[in-house]
Amino acid sequence: MNNLDLLQLSGNSLWRRKVRTILTTLGVIIGTTSIVVMLSLGIGLNEMQRENMERWGSLTMIRVQQGMIFDAEGNPLKEGKQLNDEAVDELRSIDGVLAVSPVYNFGGEASYGRKRGGLNLIGLDASSMNQLEFTAEQGRLLEEGDRNVMVIGREVINNFRDEAFIRQMRKGMGMEGMMSQEEQDPGELLNQRISMTINARENKRIFGFTVVGILEGERTEHSYQAYIPIDDLKRMRDFGSNGNSRSSNMVIMEGVAHSRVSTASSKRSATQQNSDDYDYILVRTNNVEQSQKASQVIKDLGYNTWSMADQLEGIEKTSRTIQAILGGIGSITLLVAALGITNTMIMSIYERTREIGIMKVIGASFHDIYKMFLTEAGLIGFLGGIFGLCFSYIVSYIINRLSAGFMNQGMVGGEASSISVIPVWLTLFAVLFSILVGLLAGIYPAYRAVRLSPINAIRNE
Amino acid sequence: MSAMIRIEGLTKKYRLGQEIITALDNVSLEIAVGEFLCILGTSGSGKTTMLHIMAGLERPTRGSVFIKDINLSKMKEKNMPIFRRKYMGFIFQSYHLIPSLTAIENVSLPLIFGGAATKERSKRARDMLVQVGLQDRLKNRPTEMSGGQQQRVSIARALINDPKIVFADEPTGNLDTKTSSEIMGILTKKVKASGTTLIMVTHDLEIASYADRVIRMVDGHIIEDKRRSVISEER
Repeated sequence: MNNLDLLQLSGNSLWRRKVRTILTTLGVIIGTTSIVVMLSLGIGLNEMQRENMERWGSLTMIRVQQGMIFDAEGNPLKEGKQLNDEAVDELRSIDGVLAVSPVYNFGGEASYGRKRGGLNLIGLDASSMNQLEFTAEQGRLLEEGDRNVMVIGREVINNFRDEAFIRQMRKGMGMEGMMSQEEQDPGELLNQRISMTINARENKRIFGFTVVGILEGERTEHSYQAYIPIDDLKRMRDFGSNGNSRSSNMVIMEGVAHSRVSTASSKRSATQQNSDDYDYILVRTNNVEQSQKASQVIKDLGYNTWSMADQLEGIEKTSRTIQAILGGIGSITLLVAALGITNTMIMSIYERTREIGIMKVIGASFHDIYKMFLTEAGLIGFLGGIFGLCFSYIVSYIINRLSAGFMNQGMVGGEASSISVIPVWLTLFAVLFSILVGLLAGIYPAYRAVRLSPINAIRNE
Repeated sequence: MSAMIRIEGLTKKYRLGQEIITALDNVSLEIAVGEFLCILGTSGSGKTTMLHIMAGLERPTRGSVFIKDINLSKMKEKNMPIFRRKYMGFIFQSYHLIPSLTAIENVSLPLIFGGAATKERSKRARDMLVQVGLQDRLKNRPTEMSGGQQQRVSIARALINDPKIVFADEPTGNLDTKTSSEIMGILTKKVKASGTTLIMVTHDLEIASYADRVIRMVDGHIIEDKRRSVISEER
């Protein structure tokens, strides 16, 4: 019996009992839809979290920082290793590490034209900036041999306020005026000169920088920072520390993730501090997995590290659990649908006893009969899977449309991400799985059909 | 003449509630190649049981059936359908066509199970239906045909595989006299032309007269075994 005939015969018998076939298939449709939609919610949730995390920092970056190493419960274990040039070399030699840059962090007062504002400077290895997941939206990144140049985030411009405006503010013109200030074009700063004023005990010195690039991305880790070559920053710091102590190094909070850093750094200033130590060292790896691996290696070497990838691991574990629960709820529906298929097939065998008998008498082998009934059950599964999938796309679309409304209210601008995501693998999985469920549900009825005695079927009534 | 079917000491007992019924009691018989044998008997005489056992649809309690030199009793249940498909054709009183399939599909069915290519088997089925005079009914379903037409489809189906043996169980039982003789005419003509052995069960003397050889059964025994020449001499 060839496969085409098999499909035709099975399809034919299903078509003969339209209503029952449709009802049974409907069960599978609902089952498939519930699994797909549930899983899509889990996947959507996961992706949304990932997106959010990526917004706050790259998943392939590890920040090796000073300070205490904490155990899982947050109790301090020991002091991390010092961050000097030896450390940079050590980190560079770790497997999977793409680039390493030492970083100084320095905050100070800056001015641009008639505008003034606070600016957080980050000094890094100019030659490796292009490997540290920075992308210039306008201009360029820092390059080897750069001096007195600066690459800034998109939001930096909003740090600057007109002096006149600030005076007005001081007079108490109210907050509203400030809040309603228009968005400024980040590109305005390109090729402009920004001056940093450093106060040392009696001296005052101005360091000038030319903005050579604007970084891509709003509301990211980078968008409020200004990046300069590390040697430039070192000079500024050295000048500053002649007078003031390092307390001028005000760490601006870079998102929620750094609360521990700040507590650590406040502790640090009390303990022994070699002023030549870097504030932290950035390590870049190829991908998330390597990042997680390298992070562990670095920890084992005795450094204090922080990375998005580590955070992600925990979050992904949680969302896997959520997905499993959602998928489990969906599966129950499909299980019920499977029972429906079995039931329908058994009923159908009772009705078709005579027909099955005739087929056996005129030469249908056991194998043929078995295949015919399995195919029927599998077809129900397949149809249910296909239509269930179409239905899932519709439901998913509706969920996304409805949720987009809520999300947009909560979020300031930006495109709302979908909370129901159906990836290609889920599409394939859903169809294959529903066929599988159909086949499994068909095994017992098919076995019964095979066992049917042809004599009883053909005996003259 | 060599024997197509040989049965030896065939006994079949049924349990019906508390009672044990002996349907066949130590029956032996030889049927020659190309012979048209009619088994005549009243209901309950064991004639249908014998037919079923010869076709491998039932297992005897004792005794054995040989088709040529193949012992059916030793054949595995699993291989039986394939054996039937290759060597046997069946015609039933109530036609037993598949109601959802057209005439041509019903006739093709044994070829479908045999895995024949679509084109070839449609052609063969069509030819066969034309030969039984149903060229106008190819696409009709059983419910759209008369009893005689349905039985013709059934004959076509039985012969489509060029079987060595055709079993017919009361083929005219549901038909009127005129249609019966038409059907018997087609059937005998076809089997004689191809040299097929035909074994027919009936209780109708008129129909039995088409046969080369008639055996009469009562209570599971063969009580009479006559060849056609003998029957005609008696007349």
